[in-house]
Amino acid sequence: MFKKILIANRGEIAVRIIKACREMGISTVAVYSDVDRRSLHVQLADEAVPIGPAPAIESYLNMDRLIAATRTTGAEAIHPGYGFLAENSDFVLRCEKEGIVFIGPNSKALALVGDKVRARQTMEKADVPIIPGMKSIPKDLSEYEAAAKKLGYPVMIKASAGGGGKGMRIIYEGQELRPGLEAGRREAKSAFGDESVYLEKYIEEPRHVEFQVLADNYGNAVHLFERECSIQRRHQKIVEESPSQALDTKLRTKMGETAKKVVAAAGYNNAGTVEFLLDKSKNFFFLEVNARLQVEHPVTELCTGVDLVHQQIRIAAGEKLSFGQADVAQRGHALECRIYAEDPANNFLPSSGKILFLKEPKGPGVRHDCGIYSGWEVPSYYDPFLAKLIVWAENRESACRRMLAALNDYAILGISTSIGFLKDIVSHPEFRAGRTNTGFIKNHFENWRERDKGGDALKLALAAAAFDSLNSGPSGKRAVGEAKKTAVSPWQTLGHWRLGEG
Amino acid sequence: MDFEFFINNEPRKISLEKKEDGYHISDGEKTMKADIQPISPNLLSLLIDGRSYRIYMAKDKDKKYIFIEGQQFVVQEPGREARGFHGGEEKSQEGKLLITAPMPGKVIKIDVAERQEVRKNQTLAVVEAMKMENEIKSSVEGFVKKIFVSAGELVDSEKPLIELEAKK
Repeated sequence: MFKKILIANRGEIAVRIIKACREMGISTVAVYSDVDRRSLHVQLADEAVPIGPAPAIESYLNMDRLIAATRTTGAEAIHPGYGFLAENSDFVLRCEKEGIVFIGPNSKALALVGDKVRARQTMEKADVPIIPGMKSIPKDLSEYEAAAKKLGYPVMIKASAGGGGKGMRIIYEGQELRPGLEAGRREAKSAFGDESVYLEKYIEEPRHVEFQVLADNYGNAVHLFERECSIQRRHQKIVEESPSQALDTKLRTKMGETAKKVVAAAGYNNAGTVEFLLDKSKNFFFLEVNARLQVEHPVTELCTGVDLVHQQIRIAAGEKLSFGQADVAQRGHALECRIYAEDPANNFLPSSGKILFLKEPKGPGVRHDCGIYSGWEVPSYYDPFLAKLIVWAENRESACRRMLAALNDYAILGISTSIGFLKDIVSHPEFRAGRTNTGFIKNHFENWRERDKGGDALKLALAAAAFDSLNSGPSGKRAVGEAKKTAVSPWQTLGHWRLGEG
Repeated sequence: MDFEFFINNEPRKISLEKKEDGYHISDGEKTMKADIQPISPNLLSLLIDGRSYRIYMAKDKDKKYIFIEGQQFVVQEPGREARGFHGGEEKSQEGKLLITAPMPGKVIKIDVAERQEVRKNQTLAVVEAMKMENEIKSSVEGFVKKIFVSAGELVDSEKPLIELEAKK
C-alpha cells in the first residue's frame, strides 16, 4: 500500500480524498493555488505545496508543477479527484513515464473513453447501443451543418474531451448552430484545453441513468448499480439518487451487464461510471464513460456500503477486487443535492464572496461533503460548487423527507446559494412521484423564484436584527426616518448576466 | 424602540422593547412577547408562547444575514443601502443605463458597437465568470451609447461594461 498520496485537486473532493487516506493510514499532500492558501483541503492535509497563480491553467492544470510537487514530497501516487486533470490522458501518460501511480484508469483506456468520439466507435463495435450522431471530429464547419441536417434538429453539441455541461449546447435550428459551435469550442478549450466538439441527436427528455463500475488490474469488474441524475440545470446534475425509479430488476441487470461490457471493451481499470440515456420507451443508449470518481459517488456508497475512494486506492496499489458481483446489493434509498454558490433570484449567476457563517446539517443518515467553513472566501476562479448534501433512508419517500429536513437545517450566510431551489425541487409533487427526466427543471422551474414562505419568519428575522442593533452599540442603532430612498441599480433594471442556454 | 431595515430594498419596520417580562416585538399589527437568549455570537434562541426558534445571524458591514426555520433574509441597515454599482452621473441622466459587472470575470466578446441600435433581449456581450459563459442581454430597445471594455479584458466587480440609451 502507498505511504503518501498527492491530491491534485481542491474543494470538497480534495477533502473527501484526504479523509479516505487518513482512514487507510496514508499521509496526504495537498496542492494549492495562490487564492487557495486558506482552503480547507490545505488545512486538513499532512503537507501542502503551492503550485502557482489562481487561474487553473497555471496551477491545478499545470502538469510540471504537480509532478514536481509529487517528487519533492516523495508521494508515490496522485489522486486527481474530478475535473482539472482527472481525465487528461497526457497527464496519466506522464505519470506512468515518471513512475508515479495515477489513481484512476490507465492512459490508454482513458485516452479511448476520454475521446468521446472514439469511445462511440468502440462501443458500437462491442454491440453497445449508442446515440445517433457524429463518429469523427470534422475539420470544417459545413460538415457540422450537413451532419445536423442529416440527424435532424434538435441536435446536441458536445465537447469530445469532457463533460459537466462545459461546451455543451442544445441547438434547435440551423441559425443557432454556428454561434453554438463557437461558444462550445471556447468553453471546451478553457475547461479541458481541447476545443473539439461533435454533434449528436438530441434525445428529448430522457432519464439520465449511470452505472458505477469498479475494475481491478486483473480483469475483474463489478458494477455497483445505478444512480439516476436526471435533475439537471444547464446540463449539470444538481440532484442525484439511487436506485432509479425507472428501472426494474431485469432492466437494471441488463444495463449493469452492459456497463461491464463497456469497461471490458475499453480495457478500463479503477473506478468509472458508464452513463446511459434512457428514453421514454425504456431504450437505453451509451452516453459516455466518466473516467473518474464522480461528484455523486456518495449516493452509491450509501446504498451499497462500499467506500469508492478506498477501492480506488486499493486497485491503484495493485490489489485484487475483494468481492464479486454476487456480493453487492442495493439497500434503501440515497439522495444527493449539490450546493452551488449562485443566486437563484439573479438567474443563477455565480456568487462569490465570504461565507460569514456555516451551519452544517447533521443527523442520522445525513452526510455533508464540503470544502467550506465559516470565514472562507469563495474564490471566483473556479466552479462555484461548494458542497454536497447526501442522505440515506429506508425508502425514497423517507429519503426525500430527510433531505428536506436537512436542507432546512442548513445555513450558509454571506453568499447566495441554491439551497432554497433544491428544497423546492425535492418538495415538488412530480419529483416525489419519481417522474423525473432531464427536462424536469425546464418544465417545472423555468421562472422559479424563491417564494415567501409566510408565517412569522420575516418578523422574527427583523426582531433578531433589531435585537442585534440594540446590543451592538450606538453605531448599530439608527432611528426611523433617517432612511434615504433606495436607489435602483441599473443592474437590476437592465437584467443580469444571462447564463448561456444554447 | 422602533427600527427600520431594508429587505430586498423594501423598507420594513419593527419595534422591539425590553420589558420586565421579556421583549415585546411588534410590527404595528400584532405584538409578540419573546424570551430572547443569545447562545453564541451567531445564534439566538427565542421562545414565544412556548414555541422555540433558533435564529442564526452573521454580519458584514451594513448587512445582517439571518437564517430562521430554513429561510434566509438579508437585512440591511437603513441609510447605506444605496451603495450601488455606479457613479451618480450616469444615473442622473434620463434614459441612460449603465451595465456593470456584478462579479469578477473575463469579457469573451462584445457583440455590439457604439451607436448601434439594439432590440430588447439582444445579446450585447458574453462574459465568462466561474468557468461559465454568461450572455448579457439588453432589457430595453435603444442604442449603445458607450462601450468601456474589449474582448479578452478581465473585469472586476462593479466595473462599467456598456452604457445604453433607451429609445424614447
